[in-house]
Amino acid sequence: MTVLGRHAAAIPALTAVLVLSACALSGPPLARQGAGTAAAPSAAGSATPFPAPAEAAAPAAAPPPYVPPPKQFHLGAAASALVTQAHRQAAGGDYGQAVATLERAQRIEPDNPLVWIELGRLQLDANNGAQADAMARKALSLATGDPAAQSAAWQLLADSLRARGRNAEAADADHRAAALLTH
Amino acid sequence: MLLIGGYLLYLDHQVVKQFEGRRWTLPAQVYAAPLELYAGLGLSLPEVQRELERLHYRRSDRPDHPGTYRLSGEHLEVDLRPARFADESRPAQLLTISGGGNGILRLADANAREVPVLRLEPLLIGSIFPSHGEDRIVVSPQEVPALLPAALKAVEDRKFDTHHGIDPLAMLRAAWVNTRAGAIEQGGSTLTQQLVRSYFLSTRQTFSRKLREAAMAMALDAHFSKADLMNAYINEIFLGQDGERAIHGFGLASQFYFGKPLAELDLAEISLLVAVVRGPSYYDPRRHPDRALLRRNLVLKVMADQGVVSAADASLAARRPLGVSARPAGAYYPAYLDFVRRTLRRDYHDEDLTQAGLRIYTSLDPRAQDEAEHALERELARLDKLHKHPQEALEGAVVVTAPQSGDVIAIVGGRDVGYDGFDRALDAHRSMGSLVKPFIYLTALESGKYNAATVVEDAPIDLKLTNGQHWKPENFTRQVYGPVPVVRALAESLNLATVGVGLDLGLPKIAQTLQRFGLEQPPAQVPAMLLGAIDVTPLAAAQLFNGLADGGFRTPLRAVRAVLSADGKPLKAFALQVTPVASPEAIYQLDRMLVLVMDHGTGRPARALLPADLVVAGKSGTSSEDRDSWFAGFSASHLVVVWVGYDDDAPTGLTGSAGALPVWAHVMAGLNTQSWSAPMPESLAEVHIDFPTGLRAVPGCTPDLVAVAVPGSALLPVHPGCGFPESAPTVPNLLEKAKQLLQQAVH
Repeated sequence: MTVLGRHAAAIPALTAVLVLSACALSGPPLARQGAGTAAAPSAAGSATPFPAPAEAAAPAAAPPPYVPPPKQFHLGAAASALVTQAHRQAAGGDYGQAVATLERAQRIEPDNPLVWIELGRLQLDANNGAQADAMARKALSLATGDPAAQSAAWQLLADSLRARGRNAEAADADHRAAALLTH
Repeated sequence: MLLIGGYLLYLDHQVVKQFEGRRWTLPAQVYAAPLELYAGLGLSLPEVQRELERLHYRRSDRPDHPGTYRLSGEHLEVDLRPARFADESRPAQLLTISGGGNGILRLADANAREVPVLRLEPLLIGSIFPSHGEDRIVVSPQEVPALLPAALKAVEDRKFDTHHGIDPLAMLRAAWVNTRAGAIEQGGSTLTQQLVRSYFLSTRQTFSRKLREAAMAMALDAHFSKADLMNAYINEIFLGQDGERAIHGFGLASQFYFGKPLAELDLAEISLLVAVVRGPSYYDPRRHPDRALLRRNLVLKVMADQGVVSAADASLAARRPLGVSARPAGAYYPAYLDFVRRTLRRDYHDEDLTQAGLRIYTSLDPRAQDEAEHALERELARLDKLHKHPQEALEGAVVVTAPQSGDVIAIVGGRDVGYDGFDRALDAHRSMGSLVKPFIYLTALESGKYNAATVVEDAPIDLKLTNGQHWKPENFTRQVYGPVPVVRALAESLNLATVGVGLDLGLPKIAQTLQRFGLEQPPAQVPAMLLGAIDVTPLAAAQLFNGLADGGFRTPLRAVRAVLSADGKPLKAFALQVTPVASPEAIYQLDRMLVLVMDHGTGRPARALLPADLVVAGKSGTSSEDRDSWFAGFSASHLVVVWVGYDDDAPTGLTGSAGALPVWAHVMAGLNTQSWSAPMPESLAEVHIDFPTGLRAVPGCTPDLVAVAVPGSALLPVHPGCGFPESAPTVPNLLEKAKQLLQQAVH
């Protein structure tokens, strides 16, 4: 308990996750987990490194998963002003300046998926589909919990795939983008 | 006579031709990253003030010209200098910064309108000068304060405006003094002659040379205006030496001695530069401040006597201290500039860099650089005392990046930070040791066969190699730990367990992971690779760990953001690039384990040095016989890599946790950094497991529980007696219960 207490105190940023997982742990699916028998440590580690035997185990989480309240990413005033400026520069054909301006926004809010989506859109405008794709994936990895941001990232990914003629994958990404908005 | 006439004509022609076509070789100027100011930035007003001081802004009661500021209560009013950035220019302007708590609340312009975001001008951090060492910043006549030419004339050449290039009377006077002294010592040269000497001739003084100099000075005077010649003098003349670098011209001298533009110098400062003209080494204000002060005050007196300034102003200025900056501007960051030079050599010839006046914009963060330098110096001095190694001092290197942009924001190449020599951050190729382990476990997670709770065997290993020898690695403690969960094997850096996992996955897989993350040379695929028998530089280690810190994306580390031509045209931009190199799920699981390294493993000693609520992730590295002590770790906004060792590869007696870790922790604690907190991918679940055994348990059930992320579908064995309240008792549980009941019955 003391160890856990210190651990939790040292990681307030993870508290949200801890709370969520606590909810997940107390959820009904976990009632099933005691059905099996816990493996003794010696049994688990008897042979060469291999995963522990499964029959004595419980799933870490089972469906239906706990759905956390949706997050919503916003741009701060500084990043927002820079994004507006970048749009203006891009509209004026000054692609290089627009990239530099968006990179300023990225340095101010490095974890904001909306900035990465903007960066990816600019790459797509400059016919750099591969970078747009990578930036969409970067945005996706940051957008967990925000369906609107996730949808925008999938949309960017769809467009970048289409730009490279990968139409089937693009349709799939489009579908995911749409599904996120209807939930 | 005809011959002399012909020679003079020839000289005349030469002088005019060369001088008309003159183009000073302009070393590229290198700038740090500009500080972005915006509401919400976590910098207190005193911290902003320090940044202004770094740019040599002057505090004033009334900020009324660029380069001044006033602090009144919670407001900082700044008269900003005009600034040239990589992407745009900003004119001089007034800015009011309102602070509160520990951050900026509001920015407003001269009309009290809100300003969302604004950059301070970038700090000039150095220049790339040619091998003969001539460095300069050329100034136009508009950038020269009127006092400077007036002072030069009063002190060096009173008849400058009227003579024809030479001043025969002054020459005779000097000749007379020199004849009596038996050697050529005293000048008597006009400014024009000094210019000729510096521009056309070597400084060796012989009589024929003197004549040639006089003839050339007259030729120059006949063909060019006095204003032209004065401006040439101001840009040409030698004013100091800084190691290999010769400081030429008042533009650079102003930066070199005072850290600010020439236009902002006051009477006392101008007088000091004019004093230095006579003997940049003899009157060096840093090495011989007393001499320099006497000579400066003499200059002031001469100026007053000549009516250039009032006697009152001169005596007021004479009471001022010299005011030179502690360290010469442009010589702060040799290791960083080294990286900049190497980056640019891929695209530019040496001559472009040393002569074309390029403007180079970098990612250097002077605050982070200062922290890194100080932490390394301080900690190595402390470690030297603890681990007496009489022959030599410990060395070290530090690299700091902003992981998500790939910006390299600080590089320290050794403990003597001002020394432009062996740059360990870029050139020390050392065994990465246990820094390789995260990449082995990442490969394991990606294989789908392992998760944080998977129990692996820490057991003796004896491998027969192809050369017939046996490889028998050991744990650092020389103990064998038996079955341990992956999270513990990584946190405690267990060698045997890790080698077992690595061999199970196969060396090519591990090598591929390393190369995906940016390892340039494919590693030799020998089993010792699994214990980090891979030579990397601290910068290369930073590239590898940057991918872990950046959520599994590889971003090429960059020092240079953009290059502009002398007239401000963009030549090259190094834009942000990202490449996904790991599955988001695997990288999240790994990063959570690297957080536990700091709380439960080899990174634990750092906890006492870090803010209690700062979440960081990291990994220690120790190569065989403690030759290399590494620590690499990150927060949300910074990655710091530290190497400590001896240059001759001698054992240090320091593990990664003992040597590099304290340096790392001090650097991290000194940065204004954010806690690591990536969003958990939706397919993962967070569970608590018993750290020694890896068995799942409800919180509070065993004394040593850790929270790890595992795939939602992972099947985890449950710790006996630590299942969930609603769960049915397990068989061992029943046995336990029965035993307890039996014992109770017996008692």
